[in-house]
Amino acid sequence: MIELLSYQFFQNAIIGGCLIGIICSWIGLFLVLRRQVMIVDGAAHTAFGGLALGLLLGIDPFITALIIVIISILIINKMKTFTDSAIALMLAIGFSIGLIIISITRGFSIDIFSYLFGSILTISREELIIISIVTIFITIFLLLFHRELIAITFNERNARVMGIPVDLISNIFNFIIAITIILSIKIVGVILIVALITIPALISLQIKTSFNNTVIISILIGLFGIILGIFISAIYKLSTSGIIVFTLVIIYAIVYIYSKIKIIKREKL
Amino acid sequence: MKAIEVRNLNVIRDGKLVIRNANFEINKGDYVGIIGPNGGGKTTLILTILGQIPKLSGSIKLFGKDIEEFNEWEKIAFIPQDAVNFDNNFPITVKEFVSLGRLGKNKIGRRLNKGDWEEVNKTLEFMGISDIANKRIGEISIGQKQRMFLAMALVRNPELIILDEPISNVDPITQEKFYKKLSDLNYKEGKTILVVSHDLSAVFCRMNKVICVNVDVNIAEIKENTDIQGIVRKAYGEHFYFVFHRHECKGEFEK
Repeated sequence: MIELLSYQFFQNAIIGGCLIGIICSWIGLFLVLRRQVMIVDGAAHTAFGGLALGLLLGIDPFITALIIVIISILIINKMKTFTDSAIALMLAIGFSIGLIIISITRGFSIDIFSYLFGSILTISREELIIISIVTIFITIFLLLFHRELIAITFNERNARVMGIPVDLISNIFNFIIAITIILSIKIVGVILIVALITIPALISLQIKTSFNNTVIISILIGLFGIILGIFISAIYKLSTSGIIVFTLVIIYAIVYIYSKIKIIKREKL
Repeated sequence: MKAIEVRNLNVIRDGKLVIRNANFEINKGDYVGIIGPNGGGKTTLILTILGQIPKLSGSIKLFGKDIEEFNEWEKIAFIPQDAVNFDNNFPITVKEFVSLGRLGKNKIGRRLNKGDWEEVNKTLEFMGISDIANKRIGEISIGQKQRMFLAMALVRNPELIILDEPISNVDPITQEKFYKKLSDLNYKEGKTILVVSHDLSAVFCRMNKVICVNVDVNIAEIKENTDIQGIVRKAYGEHFYFVFHRHECKGEFEK
């Protein structure tokens, strides 16, 4: 197991995975509390169309995917009254565009497959540098506007009355969601991103502690799940993204059962 | 100085005139009750005053400045309708929650300093909730939740506190304690308070002005000889009958 750490590709996977784990778990907590996780799922699926479009046009697919994801998040937010329908619509449009492009070209199905299910073990040094820089910027934003984001998440109208620039902060936050989705495609792929965003937050919410502690727990669980998942998948030669998500699901199940037992015990007393 | 001045205010929501030609003034130090039937426009009036709903015509001045130019939002604290009915799973402690009150337009992205935390602790103490400071907000009683919201409002050190039906669905004792606290804030701390309430007894016992809202907006001073029946009928209609005995205001209800 230790031997694995001596490989450059494995080091890149661990570092890249951890960085993505930090931002996914952190922003995931806000999204779970705002009941907006499905926006990530919808936008991630539109990324599939964007990736295919990039490959077709010979442009960096992550750039086209980022543009498409930003547009889809804007549309979903615009259709506020019908958010779930907007998500379904974006999901369908993005995926169908991707499928059409694939059927037209038939040339890059292997690339597309890696985008769908992630390829964390192929993170390059350049990609790692980009992920690190973006993570630093996102972390600074989340640290600076931590309280403002809590206030907006708790009650948007009250936050506005308090003088917080809700629209500005929300727009930056949406941009961060879009970037996080794009970066996460490499780690878990389009289909499982929503799990990386949701599960650590859901686990941390079972612990029932302060907001700051909930953020820390969410991040630690995200990191633990990703590191453990990468090791297990490397040792047993299994799908990394699948194992990462499954590891997180197992942790969630354990914490959920434990918290329920605790409640039953407390009620008996 | 006037805290609020409203002139010829008209507000439309969903194509319907909700506030018609409202004219009133709230002085600094006033304790004002806003009454009226459901759907009469009370919340709309408050949210328009707070700049959250656009007005069709007329003018609103806050602390002498037109609302379009007003930027001292730190002077105002707002507790929204049914504030206490939040998601009990929201992961935040009472102290963390109250500290959010220190946020504001001119404090964006600023870390709370020692002075802020001292203010938070002082307010928790003042509201009698320092013993539950580290409890999660979902684990405390409704009465404690009300005091927590009031603490969050007070920690801003506002001059004007606006509350939109802050205490629906609570027992009479908790309700009474809450109004007593508001009276103290008005009388002892000199805060201007505007509260939407269906508790007419509390309004006429404790407050010095009442605004009746039912599309039309009427304001009246509450004095010994005030025609209370006439006032409530302006809000609730000619057939409304309200039994009010001023002597019942003695003791706990006294201004």
